[in-house]
Amino acid sequence: MIKFILTALIFGTVAGYLNNNFGNLIANGWVSGYLFDFSLILLLFFMGFAFGLDREAVVKLRRAGLRILIIPFSIALGSILGGLIGGLILRIDVFASMAASAGYGWYTLAGPLVGQLFGVEFGALGFAVNFLRELLTIVTISLTTKIDKYVPIAFGGATSMDTTLPVIVRYCGSESLITAFSSGFTLSLIAPFTITAIATLA
Amino acid sequence: MLYLTVSLVAGILFGFFWKDKRHLDLSKVTSVIIVVLIFSMGFTIGSNNDLLASMHKIGINAVVIVSLSIFFSVVFVKAVRKMVKLE
Repeated sequence: MIKFILTALIFGTVAGYLNNNFGNLIANGWVSGYLFDFSLILLLFFMGFAFGLDREAVVKLRRAGLRILIIPFSIALGSILGGLIGGLILRIDVFASMAASAGYGWYTLAGPLVGQLFGVEFGALGFAVNFLRELLTIVTISLTTKIDKYVPIAFGGATSMDTTLPVIVRYCGSESLITAFSSGFTLSLIAPFTITAIATLA
Repeated sequence: MLYLTVSLVAGILFGFFWKDKRHLDLSKVTSVIIVVLIFSMGFTIGSNNDLLASMHKIGINAVVIVSLSIFFSVVFVKAVRKMVKLE
């Protein structure tokens, strides 16, 4: 499966680049808007369906209960700590690097928001850090699942509610669906707040 | 975000009340949609010139920061998981 995923990713990127820079044959919004949203909605439905069919997964989730919410908050803390240490090592504004990390993989949010709060050059950092997080989650999935089924969710951050969710569920099984989705959902909710909160501290 | 949650919940309910649980294999359907989704994700990345330019400029810094972020996320999740005894 990973071969197909990586091929699709590479072809998609090349197609998007060529289309955007030479001619614009297809409207960008059509692919990254309609096609993306449509396939995502369909996918979530089918993954929910598979989850509902899987009695064991439902039982396991019931047993875990609200405790699964501790996962996204540990991911948030870990990400921000990573941003702090990274900023210290690289000798750049630590608040900016923490804010960039607090996008948790949501680059379309972190890029513009960090840019607005810390200036254009850090906006680029916000973009790159979070984009790489999404990319790394997908590229390393077959290795990270071997360590622990929660590791891909920690990698994915906020993206585990949409772009990386199908890949995570494919590799970690139906039972990881709700953990991954709720973790991504919570992180997506808190990302704008943590980024602005870090900026106020700066 | 709302429509994502709605379609997920709808799917779960559908599966939960589905009578014949044996004969369904959804993995083929989802595989095809995953490929379409990842393609359109790549398309979005490729058509974003700001993003590509940012990778060019501060790629190394971003690699350092994202590696540390991911590393500590994994460490914290593993630690917390032991503490609250999540399966």
